[in-house]
Amino acid sequence: MTQVKLSGLTKRFDEKSEPAVDRLDIEIESGKLTALLGPSGCGKTTTMKMIAGLLRPTDGDILFDGSSIVGIAPEDRGAVMVFQNYLLFPYMSVADNIGFGLKMRGVSRSEIRTRVRDMLDLVQMPGFEERRPKQLSGGQQQRIALARALIVQPNVLLLDEPLSNLDAHLRDEMRELISGIQTELGITTVFVTHDQEEAVVLADKIALLFEGRLQQFDVPDAFYETPGTVDIAKFFGGTNFIPGRCEDGRITTAIGRFRAPHTAVDRGEAVLSIRPEAVELGGGGGNSVRGRIRSHVYVGRYARFRVMIGEVEIEVITDPGQVKKLSDGDEVSVRFDPDKIWILGPAADGKDGRADSDSARQPAG
Amino acid sequence: MNEKAPANPSRLPSLPRMRLSEKGARRMTIGVLLAPVIVVILLLFMGGLITGFLRSLGYFPLIGLNDFNFDAYLSIFTDNGFIRSFVLTFHIAFTSTVIASILAIASAMLLRPAFRGKRFVQFIFSLNLTIPHLVGAVGVLYLFSGSGLVSRLATGAGLIDAPAEFPALVFDPWAIGIIIQYVWKEIPFIGVIVLAILLSVGEDYESVARSLGANRWQAFRHVTLPLVMPGVVSASVIVFAFTFGAFEIPWLLGATFPKALPVLAFESYTDVDLAARPQAMAMAMVIAFMSSLMILAYMKLSRRYIRS
Repeated sequence: MTQVKLSGLTKRFDEKSEPAVDRLDIEIESGKLTALLGPSGCGKTTTMKMIAGLLRPTDGDILFDGSSIVGIAPEDRGAVMVFQNYLLFPYMSVADNIGFGLKMRGVSRSEIRTRVRDMLDLVQMPGFEERRPKQLSGGQQQRIALARALIVQPNVLLLDEPLSNLDAHLRDEMRELISGIQTELGITTVFVTHDQEEAVVLADKIALLFEGRLQQFDVPDAFYETPGTVDIAKFFGGTNFIPGRCEDGRITTAIGRFRAPHTAVDRGEAVLSIRPEAVELGGGGGNSVRGRIRSHVYVGRYARFRVMIGEVEIEVITDPGQVKKLSDGDEVSVRFDPDKIWILGPAADGKDGRADSDSARQPAG
Repeated sequence: MNEKAPANPSRLPSLPRMRLSEKGARRMTIGVLLAPVIVVILLLFMGGLITGFLRSLGYFPLIGLNDFNFDAYLSIFTDNGFIRSFVLTFHIAFTSTVIASILAIASAMLLRPAFRGKRFVQFIFSLNLTIPHLVGAVGVLYLFSGSGLVSRLATGAGLIDAPAEFPALVFDPWAIGIIIQYVWKEIPFIGVIVLAILLSVGEDYESVARSLGANRWQAFRHVTLPLVMPGVVSASVIVFAFTFGAFEIPWLLGATFPKALPVLAFESYTDVDLAARPQAMAMAMVIAFMSSLMILAYMKLSRRYIRS
């Protein structure tokens, strides 16, 4: 399988504006599923189109197994892209759509027919040869688009927002299908998504992009446990950030002093972050402070509390049973488990997140 | 039935009846609203067609012809001049349509990407949509006739010795002048339609094709072309029908023999001999019939092309 390396990859659509993709350095492991994650407009699809050869990089290089492919035409790269809106050729049958890539390579009709049948089996749509794309549901079109890409046995499979146009239950099905096929065929796969949950569930590794810049490239759980910056933590649903100063595994904040052995900064200004589900209510013990419950919501599978500790409001997610024990206005003990506290560098003031993401990436990567 | 219905207003059978009458009312409204158009079409077009058809069968009471017969058709189909006119007319329509379609697709492809001054180029491209055919014909005369600008420039440049040596492009048996005029006029007509389709479809389908292993030409041949083909077909059907039946350009730029069918029909019609009228009408019928037939065949062929 193929290892993909992006080196200083940059794309500028015109001279004056900010680059859409800015000096990306990512090494995508062979045979793994890698997510390009980020909010819309962060350059993830642009990056994918450059890998596919549909856009020319302004600067930097793309290497497949160590050799540059920037000068190679898209049809000769062996990187096939599946578009977000499927783009099945509307005037062709399902079989002709799937067989398209083989026809372009001059494969014989009978071989195309057999391999199309195999592909339809693989995407669990046997017998759909003669249908027209118009007669298919969104999920079925997605499967056919996937089959059309896989039939040419690509070295690199590129999926642009593969789940975003599907409704919830189809999304689960498709997710399983993609990860099943990927594991079975072992194709180096890159997919683009704006949904962090999707990235976490599917990907072996996630590259998080903001405004064309790589923020963090890591395994999924690292984005929850050891995010590089406050922005990264926020993107992954982190809500509790308390500024302070840290020194020798402890952090002093406006609401108290906490033991915190896991840290991205050695000393000086820092931010205490703890995920809402890691905060314990009513337990007491070390690393505890007193707070007052401001409000709560019962969500069924869990309950969400807002707790005031002095002037600082934090969010806590607990098991739903807590709702019976605690009511608004109650004073409660709030415990930050030292193992679950993660100390970040201070939040950046300017828009340019480069300096702090650089410094913060080191402990994460 | 009708008396029973009010007694049981909640019974189901009364519902479909109401829907039917509503549907009828809606059809009536549409019919009434469309009536002016239908009247115009029926009176002017169908009326003319039917009158022409009757006269082509020799029914013309005004000059004392009261019998129906196929004499007019027999006489034109046995006339060698008519056959040659027919072939010429088909040649003009087919060649103009094919050349104009190909060049229109090529220009639309060139005009598709963003470039500096695109608006201006597009304006120039579509400019002659507004210029009448007659002006184009006069232009072709000035440019390509034996004493025209191109001939004189060629003489001046020493490419030919005298204007008389310039190849006949106007009043010529191959109708080159006529075809030049039609191609010039119809390229932007088809081109604007193709360009609109190209811009609305976008380039993503071609990107998919390239990504799947098609080279530039394959992506054009197997993806772009089938996508624009419905538009090309509808536009070129109009062009074909028009060029098959149009009178003024072959009249101005055509050779004296053979003449294009519409010219031949018009000359028979205006002949002092009223007995030539049925023949003129028979020719007009043949033009109408052939145009319709060609269009049908052309559409069928193009559909098959799209499918493959």
